[in-house]
Amino acid sequence: MRRVLALACLFAILGIGCTGGGSTQISSIPSVSGSGEPVTLKVWSAFTGRQLAQFDHALAMFHKAYPWITVNSSGAIGDQKIIAAINSGTPPDAVLSFVPDNVGKFCTSGAFASLNSIIEQDGLDMNQFVPATRSYTQFDGNQCTLPLMADARGLYYNEDMFRAAGITGPPQTFSELTADAKKLTQFNPDGSIKVAGFVPWWGYYEDNLAEFAHQWNAQWFDANGNSAAASDPQWAAMFTWQKDLIDFYGEQNLAKFVAEGQAHEWASSNDFEIGRTAMAYDGEWRVAFIEAEHPELNFGTAPAPVGEGASDMLGSSLIGGNVVGIPRGSAHPAEAWLLIKYLATNTDVLVYLTNALKNLPTTTAALNSPDVQLEPQFKTFFDIFSNPKSTFSPILASGSGYQDPMTSFGASWQAGKVPDLQQGLQQVAQQTDDMLSLG
Amino acid sequence: MVGPPRRRVSATVRRRRFLQAVAEHSILIAFSAGFLVPLVFVVLTSLMSTQQALSNSLWPRPFVWHNYIEIFRTQPLLRYSLNTSLYAGLSTVGVLVSGVPVAYVLSRIDWRGRQVVFLLVLSTLMLPAQVTVLPLYVIFTRLHWIGTLKPLILPNFFGDAFSIFLLRQFFLTIPQELLDAARVDGGSELQIIRRVVIPVARTGIAAVALFQVLYAWNDFFNPLLYLGEIRQNWTLSLGLSNFTTFHGSVVWNLTMAASVLFILPVIIVFFFAQRVFIQGITLTGIKG
Amino acid sequence: MGHAAVPTVRPGAPAASEAERRRTRRRVRLRRRGLILLLLSPWLIGFAAFYVYPMLASLYYSFTRFDGISPPQWAGTFNYRFMFTKDPLFWKSMYNTAWMIVLGVPLRIMFAIATAIILTRPRWGIRVHRTFFYLPAMVPPVAATLGFVYMFNPTGPINQLLGLLHLPQPLWFYDPAWSKPALLMLGLWGIGDAMIIFLAGLLNVPLQLYEAADIEGANALEKFRYVTLPMISPVIFFSVVIGVISGFQYFTQGYVASSVASGANEASTQALGAPQNSLLFYPIWLFEQGFRAFHMGYASAMAWVLFLIVMACTIVLIRTSNRWVYYQGGFR
Repeated sequence: MRRVLALACLFAILGIGCTGGGSTQISSIPSVSGSGEPVTLKVWSAFTGRQLAQFDHALAMFHKAYPWITVNSSGAIGDQKIIAAINSGTPPDAVLSFVPDNVGKFCTSGAFASLNSIIEQDGLDMNQFVPATRSYTQFDGNQCTLPLMADARGLYYNEDMFRAAGITGPPQTFSELTADAKKLTQFNPDGSIKVAGFVPWWGYYEDNLAEFAHQWNAQWFDANGNSAAASDPQWAAMFTWQKDLIDFYGEQNLAKFVAEGQAHEWASSNDFEIGRTAMAYDGEWRVAFIEAEHPELNFGTAPAPVGEGASDMLGSSLIGGNVVGIPRGSAHPAEAWLLIKYLATNTDVLVYLTNALKNLPTTTAALNSPDVQLEPQFKTFFDIFSNPKSTFSPILASGSGYQDPMTSFGASWQAGKVPDLQQGLQQVAQQTDDMLSLG
Repeated sequence: MVGPPRRRVSATVRRRRFLQAVAEHSILIAFSAGFLVPLVFVVLTSLMSTQQALSNSLWPRPFVWHNYIEIFRTQPLLRYSLNTSLYAGLSTVGVLVSGVPVAYVLSRIDWRGRQVVFLLVLSTLMLPAQVTVLPLYVIFTRLHWIGTLKPLILPNFFGDAFSIFLLRQFFLTIPQELLDAARVDGGSELQIIRRVVIPVARTGIAAVALFQVLYAWNDFFNPLLYLGEIRQNWTLSLGLSNFTTFHGSVVWNLTMAASVLFILPVIIVFFFAQRVFIQGITLTGIKG
Repeated sequence: MGHAAVPTVRPGAPAASEAERRRTRRRVRLRRRGLILLLLSPWLIGFAAFYVYPMLASLYYSFTRFDGISPPQWAGTFNYRFMFTKDPLFWKSMYNTAWMIVLGVPLRIMFAIATAIILTRPRWGIRVHRTFFYLPAMVPPVAATLGFVYMFNPTGPINQLLGLLHLPQPLWFYDPAWSKPALLMLGLWGIGDAMIIFLAGLLNVPLQLYEAADIEGANALEKFRYVTLPMISPVIFFSVVIGVISGFQYFTQGYVASSVASGANEASTQALGAPQNSLLFYPIWLFEQGFRAFHMGYASAMAWVLFLIVMACTIVLIRTSNRWVYYQGGFR
């Protein structure tokens, strides 16, 4: 499985550095004009299966535009393998990563070539990209990747259940969410949960702590760069809200409910799709899944609710997406640049990928293109994506390990193992700062 | 096993012995069943459809025999088998070629420092892999061996602690007279190894070979680390873990089907080579 | 033990002077040393290149700040100090690993002895039964763990059976109190590799000892305690040492189980030893430190701490073994 593969690759990374040779950054990428001699590019991505086939189709579109460049694509490749390849001197020519978390590391270490100069040389207009993507494609002014398709999150709700419970519209705040969830929940005679209004459990499906933090506008760091876990009251507010709803279900009941549904997230027996949950927090891709697997489901989508004190965040969400870049040591950086520029900016490609992958296109041109198949439920995510408040979590040069103490705390908190919330958050702040000192 | 001489027994004793046998058989069967049941689930899951494998049902409905064909179509398992066989075969050769002389020196020649070297050999067994894996990867990177089978096979030609240990224990059982006789005949040590040690200890050598083959067959971590993304050199164990969907979640039925095929050769080998196995373990000297 | 301390003189050789004899002996000794060196050479090279060098290199890394991509920067004892004072998960992961060893090793050994004893009585079909008993140990660890997570799913076969028997049905891999016990059961299921060693050991207990015990009128329990146990004590010792050493490296099963159970995708941090760090074993935390946070120097320091602990445990085990391990034919 991918993670196990990742694990050993970690060991691949561990210790590869000893970079006696190879710390040369590609400071400038030569530009290529016109048809040159035939070139074959190696492109790696994390896509597999159906999505890989669709990605390959986009690559074929590139080949038609630049017939002298052939592209060989390999899928199922995660960041760890990319780093390993860079360090062992056998990188591909271009790379697509699913995970923006490591962009900080890639940019500062030179693992990905800096694109600043070639962007200027080529006159590439960075404003064509949706503003939200700026937050995760560059670091400290060093643009080392371009965005290619993105994800946004929102609220899915079962319209039939809403009607039956007499709820007119989706909740906009978390207190409304709690109220609605309570109305929509059904219990079995033995006390276990039959239908959950909304599952507020970190780790369940797409309930990620970082994403909910965005909805509450809880800051990870204060102005000095220290952890704001204890100083920002929004964290405490978020956890208090969560506890309240968990207590309504009963922690044991909810844990059992989560355990039963966990394995089914990507199957057609997904909890929301079969009506086991009335509302779900999920990404824009879920629309395509429902259409394919449960077309009979009457569902609506809306921006995810926001916390009290964060009303200006309404309509936004945490954005993440794929990034494309040119690894250090790429054999054909000039042609690789042509490729990633084409993929990232060509409207036809982006429209195709949007319709095929059902992810969000990353240029405003593609976003507004009439060729995009736009069911109303899907359009919600377009709007969320364009919202100026939509952004990614803070990117650090050390990756996203800084989130570990908070995540760990969240898991203990929801299980009822933390007696004092504020004290717990204090510890998180301390541990996060300590972790940052590790480099 | 020879027991005490048989005597004519009374009916009561015969009955007791019969009941004893029944009891023992029942225990055997109960335990065997316990060990087998999870495997039965694995086999049953391997015959389910993808969706059904995710559900709680225990019996495939329908039986998707096609899964066993599907796995060959999803991944080039035959090529992976070839790679695994290469790894297993060549590494075994290496282990024996380098291990036999070392084990001989450690067991049949008396010299100062023998104990120390033996302890050093043993100590490498104790070393957690995490300590050496980082810099080892750097070494192989510099040699441009990453992505090939070389890092898996070649280090075995420089000695493998477990095999050396085991061979040493086997060689310790060779009667001294045989060696003395060969020395009297004027043979050099190398000739002694070739003409006396190897033939006499051939069961032991076979056991060591068997262990190495099994280890290479099941090895997951090392191929994963050193083969990376060079799929044409992948071994079976890597392929096994790769039946995933584009979201990284496991395709249970295919993974189980591949697992079944993966362990089949091992089962067959074990069934027929049981005695060699057991003898091999006997002579780790752990019995004293 | 074999030895070839003195080279035999070929019969019929003329008597030599004392000095000549000394010279010959020295030459022979040197030649022998050369031969020993030659025969040892493959291992010596391997030892230096694949053990000594990497150990020293990783020791160096442990004193640096190193992200795996840029060159390492010297950091003194920072990593070690951080480990012991500022890393709560260091202690938690140590606890998890220690739990697995303290509970897992004795349980496995006892179960291995029990199953081996069952298999020593020659019965019809014993070869088949031996294969069945050993079978689970042959399943690759990843597949075996997946299989177990599948079986121990809260709505899966195990809980269905428990439900039929009106017994409580824990959430197993979704409950921090039950996740390690579930892995323990996985370890017992795969008892084959430990069992076979005991099988060999049991089969080598001299029958005369049992006969002598029979004559003295010993019952089965006494025979076990006074004949079997002492005779297999070296095997027990071996299993304990191996069990402790591999226990400190327990990784794959914990990692696979927590990734699957947490259902997390690659980007998120939620796979961290889920549920609630109960499956965060020391090697897993070591891995997370390097992988998620690029703390390669820190990971090297953790590796060395692990090494020292394993060494200490092994030495203690060996030292105390004199008191309870009985070697046939006296001490070696």
